Amino acid sequence: MKSEAYRARGASSATPGAPAPPTQDIPPAPAAATAPAATLPAPTAPTPAPTAPAAAPTPALATAAPTTSAAPPTQDAPRAICVEALCKVFGAHRALDQVSFELPRGAFLSIFGPNGAGKTTLLRILATLTRPSSGTVQVLGHHLKDQSEDLRARIGLISGRSMLYPDLTAEENLIHTARLYGVLDPGARVSELLASVELTARRHDVVRGFSRGMTQRLAIARALVHSPELLFLDEPYSGLDPHAVDLFDGLIAQIRTDCSHSFVMVSHDLEKGFELASHVLMLARGKVVRAGRREDLDFAEFAALYRQTVGRGIA
Amino acid sequence: MTDAYRDFPPPIGVRTVRPSTFAQYRTLLARDLRQEFRTREMLSSMGIYAVLVLVIFGASFAQVAHEMDLLKISGGLIWALIVFTSLLGLNRSFSREREEGALEGVLLVPLDRSIIFLAKATANLLFLLTVELITLPLFFFLFLSGSEFPTTFWMILGPLGAGSVGIAGVGTLLATMTANTRGKDVLLAVLFIPLAWPLLYACVVATTAALLGPEAVEVSYLGPVVLALGYDVILIAVSWLLYDFVVSA
Repeated sequence: MKSEAYRARGASSATPGAPAPPTQDIPPAPAAATAPAATLPAPTAPTPAPTAPAAAPTPALATAAPTTSAAPPTQDAPRAICVEALCKVFGAHRALDQVSFELPRGAFLSIFGPNGAGKTTLLRILATLTRPSSGTVQVLGHHLKDQSEDLRARIGLISGRSMLYPDLTAEENLIHTARLYGVLDPGARVSELLASVELTARRHDVVRGFSRGMTQRLAIARALVHSPELLFLDEPYSGLDPHAVDLFDGLIAQIRTDCSHSFVMVSHDLEKGFELASHVLMLARGKVVRAGRREDLDFAEFAALYRQTVGRGIA
Repeated sequence: MTDAYRDFPPPIGVRTVRPSTFAQYRTLLARDLRQEFRTREMLSSMGIYAVLVLVIFGASFAQVAHEMDLLKISGGLIWALIVFTSLLGLNRSFSREREEGALEGVLLVPLDRSIIFLAKATANLLFLLTVELITLPLFFFLFLSGSEFPTTFWMILGPLGAGSVGIAGVGTLLATMTANTRGKDVLLAVLFIPLAWPLLYACVVATTAALLGPEAVEVSYLGPVVLALGYDVILIAVSWLLYDFVVSA
């Protein structure tokens, strides 16, 4: 199904008189009706990644995405994610149990929790890769149940696995993805992205010969090829060398200068995840243990709760 | 950040227009073909396996060939060769997708997920036909070069085509289902053989009839071919409908 929202997207914010950005086409999500939902308040200001290099922003991503507004999202801003009573059951195992929360657009949500807490399952459901057993999920105004195809045009995922084809070259991998998303002039976009992740010199090399760090950098470029409005990050730092970490932080910081982008990151690195986040969510045994705006939470207290959750074998 | 990085020209806006279903199908198919022709992983393993089966057939028939008419059992032998070879290929068809989670990358794309099935099934069909194109002439050369072929010989193309389409279609669905399971090689065969039994039976009967001559064709050719075609249509339609569920359950 081709949606008008899809057709309209992609207009550069730098272009005067550009068509209306897609988010304006999306009807606002209905007001939260359920009491148990952990409503994460809108961030008061965009939180730049503290570890991002200050100079030399990545050119390819600076204005690559369609923008809606330079102002930070407010409490009344449309929600990026609205989850109500979400459950996921694998056989006898309840991976997610009545999970409810909301996230405003422009926010950076870090999800923490011990192994088996349901973090990745939650991320996979939000990214339309896994079907929920019950509950309702809205992402960027799309209901997962019947609008997941339209939603996929607006989201991206970076995970521990590169999602690349090892026998294709770096360029072929990105061109392939760009064609599937319908990126106009995929060659130019691919060149930009390869420059952003500093792989231009290796563009004609087969991915199988890449180091782990290079593969992960290419995976980042792959996830950004269609300039998603909502980026899911599943342990994005795993396997990255220090240079790639800097590069990745720089890319994220650049995307975050445009407040219409939202992020959901799953991480075990409490310090890093807390640092990047505007909102945090802690899961244990598939349930929400703590959720809120980062500035309302004390890191020491949050870290203590995290350790307690792991240490007492809650998860 | 390097200087070269800073010197890069300013970015352009990313504009997307949703590609047609056919364009997405073509992109997926082209990727599979490009990978295969670069590595020849599937074709070479299927080809070598087929030759190995032919060698074993040859060793076996060398003892008894003078006592029996091989033409009468060639239908079964041909399909044994095709089924074993295709199972090997189908098992490998998702190895590249599994390696770095590339299938998930494709599942994130806004496309009708049945297109993924169709592209993969088409690729598998093309690889299977390529192997058949090489091994079947070899089969006839090795075992039937002394036989006198009936005028209906060319009619083996009917069951060969219908059977190959069915094997590629059903096999692709089952290979997707078993791709992330332990013991997938065995599991694929365990699921495939019972499910494809009606197709294989029809194809063996029709192939044998075509090799035996006009009288056999009159009795037992058209029915099995229609059965095989009906099987193809039904099973591929079911696979098409189920594929989204299978990959995202």
